[in-house]
Amino acid sequence: MRQAVTAILYAPGTNCHEETGAAIELAGGKSEVVLLHDLMEGRRGLGDYQAAVIPGGFSYGDHLGAGRIYGTLLVAKLRQQLVKFLEAKKPLLGICNGFQVLAEAGILPGRSPGKRGLALLENQSARFEDRKIRLVVSAEKTLWTESLQGEVLAMPTAHGEGRPLFCETSSAQSPRVAFRFADGAGNPTTRYPENPNGAPGSVAGITDATGMVLGLMPHPERASLPAHYSQDGLKLFLNLVQWLRRS
Amino acid sequence: MPIHSVYTLSKDDAEARSWHSFFRRHGYSELSNLIIERVYWLEGNIEVEKLLPLLANPLYQQTSSRTQLKPEMGPVVEIAYRPAVTDPETPSILAGARALGEDGLEFARLSKRYQFVGLEEAGARKIAARFLYNKIVERVREPNETPTTLRPSGKPDPVTSIALALLNDEQLMALSRQHSWYAPLAQMRAIQGHERSRGRVLTDAEIEIVAQTWSDHCYHTTWKSLGLLRRLTKATERIHHPLVVSVFKDNAGGIEFYDDWVVTIKGETHNFPSSIAPFGGVATKHGGVIRDTLGFGKGAYPIGGTTIMGTMDPRMAEDAVPPGALHPQLVVTESIRATAYYTNPMGIPMMHPIYRQHPGYAKCLALGHSVGLIPKKHALKDAPQPGDVALLIGGETGRDGIHGATVSSTGMTGETLERESAAVQIGHPITERRFTSAIPVLREADCIRSITDLGAGGISCAAGEMGAETGVALNLDAVPLKDQGLTAWEILLSESQERMLLAVPPEKLDQAQEILDCYEVGHCVLGHFTDTKRLEAVWRGGKVVNLEMSFLWEACPIEPLEEVEPRRQPKLLDIPEPRSQEEWGGAFRRVLSHYHGCDQSSAGSRFDTTVQGRTAVGPYGGRNHQMPTNIAVSAPLHGKPYGVITTIAMNPFYGEIDPAQMARLMMVEAITKAVVAGADFREMALCDNFYTPKVRPGVAWDLSRMVETIADFSVAIGVPFISGKDSSSGTLDCGDRKIEVPLTLAVATLGRIPNVKKIVTKEFKRAGNKLLLVGGCDASYLAGTVYADSYGQRGARLYDPGPTKSIMRLWDALHQLHNAGKYVSGSAIAEGGVGLRLFEAAYGSGLGADIDLVRMEAGFGKILPRRELKGRGKIDDAHRAKLRSDGLVFGEFIGSVILEVPSDFKIESFPRGVSCTPLGEVITEPILKLRGAETILWQDSISALTQSWNKTFQEVVE
Repeated sequence: MRQAVTAILYAPGTNCHEETGAAIELAGGKSEVVLLHDLMEGRRGLGDYQAAVIPGGFSYGDHLGAGRIYGTLLVAKLRQQLVKFLEAKKPLLGICNGFQVLAEAGILPGRSPGKRGLALLENQSARFEDRKIRLVVSAEKTLWTESLQGEVLAMPTAHGEGRPLFCETSSAQSPRVAFRFADGAGNPTTRYPENPNGAPGSVAGITDATGMVLGLMPHPERASLPAHYSQDGLKLFLNLVQWLRRS
Repeated sequence: MPIHSVYTLSKDDAEARSWHSFFRRHGYSELSNLIIERVYWLEGNIEVEKLLPLLANPLYQQTSSRTQLKPEMGPVVEIAYRPAVTDPETPSILAGARALGEDGLEFARLSKRYQFVGLEEAGARKIAARFLYNKIVERVREPNETPTTLRPSGKPDPVTSIALALLNDEQLMALSRQHSWYAPLAQMRAIQGHERSRGRVLTDAEIEIVAQTWSDHCYHTTWKSLGLLRRLTKATERIHHPLVVSVFKDNAGGIEFYDDWVVTIKGETHNFPSSIAPFGGVATKHGGVIRDTLGFGKGAYPIGGTTIMGTMDPRMAEDAVPPGALHPQLVVTESIRATAYYTNPMGIPMMHPIYRQHPGYAKCLALGHSVGLIPKKHALKDAPQPGDVALLIGGETGRDGIHGATVSSTGMTGETLERESAAVQIGHPITERRFTSAIPVLREADCIRSITDLGAGGISCAAGEMGAETGVALNLDAVPLKDQGLTAWEILLSESQERMLLAVPPEKLDQAQEILDCYEVGHCVLGHFTDTKRLEAVWRGGKVVNLEMSFLWEACPIEPLEEVEPRRQPKLLDIPEPRSQEEWGGAFRRVLSHYHGCDQSSAGSRFDTTVQGRTAVGPYGGRNHQMPTNIAVSAPLHGKPYGVITTIAMNPFYGEIDPAQMARLMMVEAITKAVVAGADFREMALCDNFYTPKVRPGVAWDLSRMVETIADFSVAIGVPFISGKDSSSGTLDCGDRKIEVPLTLAVATLGRIPNVKKIVTKEFKRAGNKLLLVGGCDASYLAGTVYADSYGQRGARLYDPGPTKSIMRLWDALHQLHNAGKYVSGSAIAEGGVGLRLFEAAYGSGLGADIDLVRMEAGFGKILPRRELKGRGKIDDAHRAKLRSDGLVFGEFIGSVILEVPSDFKIESFPRGVSCTPLGEVITEPILKLRGAETILWQDSISALTQSWNKTFQEVVE
């Protein structure tokens, strides 16, 4: 059987695609960098891939808002492919800018392209925060955190806009939080800088109703390789690869 | 075309809150609120409604076609870019609009409206001018402006010929100034001679090209005159280091890494633009040095960078700032904002963020390095062949940065700030990021014969250099312009950022263009390489440039410079030795809170240090990831253990006392920092960056001694300089006086190590372990130290780490010990001495240290033979006869290291011929303790000391 391939979507300004590929490879998976340009030109299709990651970076220079242009293009140009991908329940991960893109596109939290239910606002400190933080994994079920519930993971964060604001009207269906920023004891924290962006409820990452889509501000791919100070992030990619093998 | 406006207001604006509290802290307590409204100006026949999803997120932004600010709430100041400058966001807005099916949008601009609740109009404008905009590139938009178009527009001046043949010297010089060529008389005469001998009057474009090519910035006339470039390259040739792949000639230097890869380094200063417009200057400092990496060989990939800023003391009083200089606090805060603005989107990890101060840095030091990675087979360029296409890639060409090369080669005066505004550039990192991704793809597809960056001198410099051996013919009409008003010479000289020039084999052109399209990188066929040995250019149907390459590259007159040994009048130090607990506490606080010793992570934590997934050791480490590591270790090949290590040494205080000795110390410091971490000094190369005042005889003398010293020392130790840059324009002319920068040399190391996991870091590892001081130590040398500076004193003679052989022996010994795993933590002594290092190691570990000064003093007698004490001539610093205990703690014994070894380590087992003295031990309790003969001289908790350590810089930047 052909090995499942994870698409790593690249748009101008994406800058974490190589290390994301390296982490997937170390986890035993296979990945391919796919240019958004090629998707929009029809040279590649999302349907050719079994999973997808929108990696970190400053797509389109973060102009008008982080993830805004990328999200706009996804919805305006690739809506059909995207809906199909979601309906097929394929794993989709947005890291940092990728999370911002998923929010701007309306894919997280509501799986509703074009309808935004979450904004990632400028950090409370009003500055870019490069920190090594701890994350506590919530009990919510997602393929990405399978068997990791309750664990505390160490990985870097590096972003200027990561403070979640959820749409008030959707409060009936509260967001499914996958990760929370944690203090030294592993408890969720709103204290700066352990919670580097001032996220209410310490929210660092969320999943959708199916548990297939995950968005998080911290960078698991930067805590994956043996050279890194922590390899906790690799666990997410191991879960992805296992899931792809199973299905 | 109609111009629409969309006003957006955020319900939750962290930026506004942050400014509000900043202003209140800076004396505007009556400011009860600050509101920021963002405005989009959109030109074209469009339906604005259609664009709203792009312009605002309704979850937190409200939009309106009119301002949502209530005028009665307070004065509003609206800030926008000047009309000639394109907003960075403009291309993104246009792309987003097209995706939404709104093709009618022709141009877009942004502005920000700040409403100051509780202030009067005058106060609001004053704040805005001081903190919120830079008048060189931005402006206050007045309420009643009704522009007819948003586009930067204009008609170009025609090309003119400028006859020089009949002018006398005075007239030549007047012309040189009038055109901002800043060419000295000898050069003006050479150009005049050329006109006479060829019997043809040169065009303005031609003279501009010559002036730019011969500027000190591009041609290094000062260094060439003093024979310094040759001196350094000779030294490197003599070393003939087996790892060296490329030195000095290319845009960076490179050494062999592992598995057929090469790592590169380059350092660039961008002092002039950073002094007059710190945000733009520092942003483009990074952009420029990163392009040097991209322009190495056939295109290296940047894997790390640094930012090193030297300013006057940012805490200085407003009225003490010399005319023509900006307040150093503004320079520092703007530079931090700019580094974050540029390097984070570039996705290049910050390796060393360093901030230093010296009263001489009125014209600031703005240095940045870029470290790169490239397959060995692509590390050397091929020569462009006649017929190759000159392909210009990246951003459009605008009016920005014209005359940067010539202006930055001259001194700065109070007038420069206004007069040379065009010399400041705006950086757009997203444009550079696009081709950073595309270049390795082009390279691997063999589309690149040669590549170079466009920096100072723009197209003129890049094409002139690349075509120097063959000739090149350019079609200036092909160049995409931001500003239609550019004339031929401006197109040639524009220093618009984010452009590269490639020599592409003609059969590869289609493929190259396709790759560039996929990566959404702009490109144009600028011309082709020829066999005419001439630089030619056509514009609007006429030939505007036709210069012989031989004239351009060989005819620059190099005038001899006089060297005269300057007379220094050293002042002896007069510092009271601490006698009590309280005085010791005061001494520690002086050093920990000193600008050079303090916690600078409030700047550093704004820069991405882990992007690319290559970081093994970043600038901060230890238990809470906030301890400065003084090293950066990258594992550039994902999944492989191999590491690149870089370190930096730069000290403005030492240069004031003894420039040549400073130069040697900087080499020793930088190398020792890497060696103690685990690198072998035999697998290392160096990069030098000089910043010196405008050359006068005394400066020329010092500069020559500095270069001689580092050239000789590098040969003696066998560690080559592979790359470097000099700037000899560090003088601010304030009319009645001149402020000169201290003679500055920053040394960077680039080394390779087989396994990043073997790196030893600074923080203590285990209570009960012994602490050793390895290397020399002389308590009587406090000159140039941070401790002395905290008393406003400098002193007379710098510490000397001893003969070259003993330094090399120490490096070898350390490397042996490291390989044998004998020490568990280690750090090289530098600014702040043993005291600062002990604090940092304790802070980074949660442990403490118990230091026995008596044993240290006893060891001191042993390690410093009497003959050295006597043999050095006159006793200079105060208290020479007696060992000073504060000298032991705060003396900066460059070349010495602190090691932490297991408690059963036998000091006798230490390699022979290397001094080693016990310092004390690591303790569980997080305190620092100093023991005297019978008493505890002083002790304090790490948490209390941290209070002093982490305030200084925070107060400057927050």
